Amino acid sequence: MRLRRRVESCFFMKRNRWIPYLLLLPSVIYLALFFLYPMTQAVQLAFTREGQFLNLRAEPNDTAVSTGALLLQTEVRIVERSEQQETLASGAQRPVFWYRVQAEDESGATVEGWVSIRNVFIENRRTSETARVTSGEALREFSLVHVNRMFTDFRFDDALWTTVLLIILIIPAQFVLAIIMALVLQSQPRFSTLFLYVYAIPLGLSDLVAGILWFAIFTQRGFLNSLLVNAGVLDLPFIFIQAGHLGWMIMIIVLAEIWRATSIVMVIIVSGLQAIPRDYLEAGEVFGASLWQRLWHIILPLLKPSLQVALILRTILAFQVFAIVIAITGGDIMTVLANETFRWYDPARFNNPNMAATYSVFIMLISLGVSLFYLRAVRSQEEAVQTT
Amino acid sequence: MSEIVIENAVKQFGKFTAIDNVSLTAAEHEFVVLLGPSGCGKTTLLRAVAGLGMLDSGQVTIGGRDVTYLPPRDRNISMVFQNYAIFPHMTVFDNIAFGLKMRRADKTQIRERVENAAKLLHIEGMLERFPSQMSGGQRQRIAVARAIAYESRVILMDEPLSNLDALLRLEMRAELKSLLKRLGATTIYVTHDQIEAMSMGDRIAVMKSGRILQIDAPTRVYDLPSDHFVGGFIGNPPMNFVRGQVQRSGGAYAVKIGDFTLTPGDELRSALTPYDGKLIYMGIRAEAMEVVTTPTTDTLPVTVDVVEPLGAQNLLTARVGSDILKVSTSPDSPIKMGDQVWLRFPLNKIRWMDVDTGRAITADVAQVLA
Amino acid sequence: MSAQAVQPRLAVLPNERERQRALRRLRLRRAAVYIVAVLLALWILLPIWLITNMAFSTPTAVRAFPKAFFPNPISLDSLTFFINSEGILRALGNSVLVAVTTLVISTLLAVPAGYAIARYMFRGRDAVRLLMLSVRAFPIVVLAVPLAVIFIRLGMYDQPVTLALMHTALTLPTTILVVSSVFASVPYEFEEAAQVFGCRPIQAFATVVLPLALPGIAASAILTFVLSWNEVFAAMLLTSTNRTLPAHILYNLDKSSDPFKFAAAFFMLVPTMIFIFFIRRYLFNMWGSINK
Repeated sequence: MRLRRRVESCFFMKRNRWIPYLLLLPSVIYLALFFLYPMTQAVQLAFTREGQFLNLRAEPNDTAVSTGALLLQTEVRIVERSEQQETLASGAQRPVFWYRVQAEDESGATVEGWVSIRNVFIENRRTSETARVTSGEALREFSLVHVNRMFTDFRFDDALWTTVLLIILIIPAQFVLAIIMALVLQSQPRFSTLFLYVYAIPLGLSDLVAGILWFAIFTQRGFLNSLLVNAGVLDLPFIFIQAGHLGWMIMIIVLAEIWRATSIVMVIIVSGLQAIPRDYLEAGEVFGASLWQRLWHIILPLLKPSLQVALILRTILAFQVFAIVIAITGGDIMTVLANETFRWYDPARFNNPNMAATYSVFIMLISLGVSLFYLRAVRSQEEAVQTT
Repeated sequence: MSEIVIENAVKQFGKFTAIDNVSLTAAEHEFVVLLGPSGCGKTTLLRAVAGLGMLDSGQVTIGGRDVTYLPPRDRNISMVFQNYAIFPHMTVFDNIAFGLKMRRADKTQIRERVENAAKLLHIEGMLERFPSQMSGGQRQRIAVARAIAYESRVILMDEPLSNLDALLRLEMRAELKSLLKRLGATTIYVTHDQIEAMSMGDRIAVMKSGRILQIDAPTRVYDLPSDHFVGGFIGNPPMNFVRGQVQRSGGAYAVKIGDFTLTPGDELRSALTPYDGKLIYMGIRAEAMEVVTTPTTDTLPVTVDVVEPLGAQNLLTARVGSDILKVSTSPDSPIKMGDQVWLRFPLNKIRWMDVDTGRAITADVAQVLA
Repeated sequence: MSAQAVQPRLAVLPNERERQRALRRLRLRRAAVYIVAVLLALWILLPIWLITNMAFSTPTAVRAFPKAFFPNPISLDSLTFFINSEGILRALGNSVLVAVTTLVISTLLAVPAGYAIARYMFRGRDAVRLLMLSVRAFPIVVLAVPLAVIFIRLGMYDQPVTLALMHTALTLPTTILVVSSVFASVPYEFEEAAQVFGCRPIQAFATVVLPLALPGIAASAILTFVLSWNEVFAAMLLTSTNRTLPAHILYNLDKSSDPFKFAAAFFMLVPTMIFIFFIRRYLFNMWGSINK
């Protein structure tokens, strides 16, 4: 049947050499400008070190190989001194001091090498133990310094694992709930259009609103505490949201995300269900399949494409969870990847677009990886047979 | 034991009555066709036997067991669906084995039955393929194989051939018929195609507006329609209906069609009594009339408006009053458009019918009424 | 007469107990469906009710503990306090400006592209569809940072139009797919018929296809509006003084009082609830299109 539909749809379509491309052109140009280009920029920001750097030399002269580079204003410790002679343009000779120094570079690694007195400030060129880098060369080069810094940042692990934990907790629950919603709607109770609308409401809500809604329930003076205190279960309100109560905060975010983002999964699954001919389910019934067997052997396998789409979409969106976390926890006592991106970017905080870009590229790569994984893992049996 | 008995079945969808107090029996091994135009309730009736949709009232028994309130899976029936309902995510083998697997049948038994069914339908070489790689005709075969492999004694078929192209349908029709006869399963077969019904059924139940109008062997449904609708629905061309007026002449009744008079047999005398002076239909098949080129006293003169050469016959269209007659003649007949011919109506081929109710006026019915 | 062509044998009484049991089973299943349906609806509606309750309570009642579950007295004080707060009206204006600009650009670009995908067979059609799909699933986070840097470089930073350009990049793929599914649902024969009866292709499009597709296109435009109205991450990054409403609220969240937060949430929620109501019929077309 699918084959026939495809043939027919080809038949009833226009063919023209250039009109379709012309119609698509504006959109493609737009996406190239505002999508492709920024994407390359993100990668560039993440992997470029820029700014003024002073190169450390293996030998006390300007042409020796570089053993590392230091940012301006870096404090250096002097290990060894060397007095060189320099030839001026006039042919005259002049003494120049070179120092072998040790310092921590941008990524925190200790580097050692020679610098000229012209590039550092030193109080006494013969006796001072330390100096400060005052000049260098403008540098724009490929570098893993941001990447290293991200991986070693003390908040990175928290952000990554909290995000992953949220995904692991949210998505399965969400799918079960969405499938139940879809099956309920599919059995067409009275007022099913009303139910459908209610289930779809969160589709239109921003994560910020959802966050505030659940904050209202779980905050210290919130509805849950009101209920518990009124009912006499608690004497004093319980503080769910505070540093150290990571488990509670994660639970609240999980609830809020399930509440907010199940709708989209539901809508995708319902439209997938609608595409399953009623025949299939009736054939299942006639040939002896119970309700559970029908779900397991007929409905879920036929829903596989929809489930796959929903799974990819939801996972990628879950890696970007942001406003809901800020609205509930404030973003300081608990963090996620997108929050780190924002903190690094925020002019009022770190004001470091390179690090922010590094986080974004990391989120992109992890999303891509997970999508590919899903595509392979959930690949249908049929495809597997056809490709072998 | 696999007799199917439907008694006083009623099913309504809101205000619309889909099945209106229908009773029907399909004897063991019998092939019963439900025939009717779309919306006549034939599929609803079949689904009621399958258990897909509950009857509002009435009873269904299969093999003496009351299944009216059992879900389909407890009825031990199998079914071939109009769109086949072959699962696209399972191989042909898994499709055919589906019912057996749901029953948790033994593995070797499953394989054996699936292979047998596949052999019967000549698809034994395709068991590992997926339905998307197969043609409509092959999917049809899978659907039938699945129904057979399930080894229930009752097979329900819902317009199984309607999605095949004409040639394939012709081929599959004969194959299905012989296959089902060999298996000896009790079959209820739904179709809107009267040729399919005629060619396959042991008996045909003609349905209209939720009721069965007639249930009889194919030849009887064809020759002796019990109703104006049945006569008009079955046969190509359909039965001709010409209005005539009943007139008493002496002790007997005559029917006047214009100046032409037909005298129904004596056995109909009491049946015709209520129609004295009224119009009734004379129903006759196109091939039942004799065409002569010279007038005699027992022939009706008509002018041929159209001649349609159809290969096996020539079909003439003529006008009698405001009614139209279709007459078939031999393909080598010299009659042309505009010719005057005379028609003879053999009395034993005529079916008289009530103009208002459409019911056939027959001796036995008259006796029941009396 | 012939309806009873088969003589009923003995009038078998319907097995009343069986019938009752079957009916009970049916009713039980129905009831279970309703219970689940209502529970799920409550799960969605309860938080919305609580925030509505807060929005219509006095600020004192909002700060009170334990909180009441119904507003008493009903008061608009919290809402007026929110609306009159510093910068809210300006942020609201920015939000509407951004969302409308996004909607306009997005729809203008998507209509021709969607039509091309729906109606033309051309080399690369599947690739374009796949591209749109993957772009739609793309993380916003990745785009926001470099775009902010680019816009700063170009001196276009902190302008509503700039944010609208970014939002268009995010919504365009979705809009194209939705619009193409809308066009695909208008039978091609209509267009052919119009051409047979003397329309030029562009006329056929304007007089036959567009009117039929308009409700669907309007629905997709509304969806675009909602997406932009709700978007907060890019809005935070791309603006600093000209913040949109969600960005403004989020940025000031840690400094805001509860009445402000709850009224803000309610204020943000109402328009989208109404919009979703109007486009509810189209939701399935929209997301259904990605399955094909």
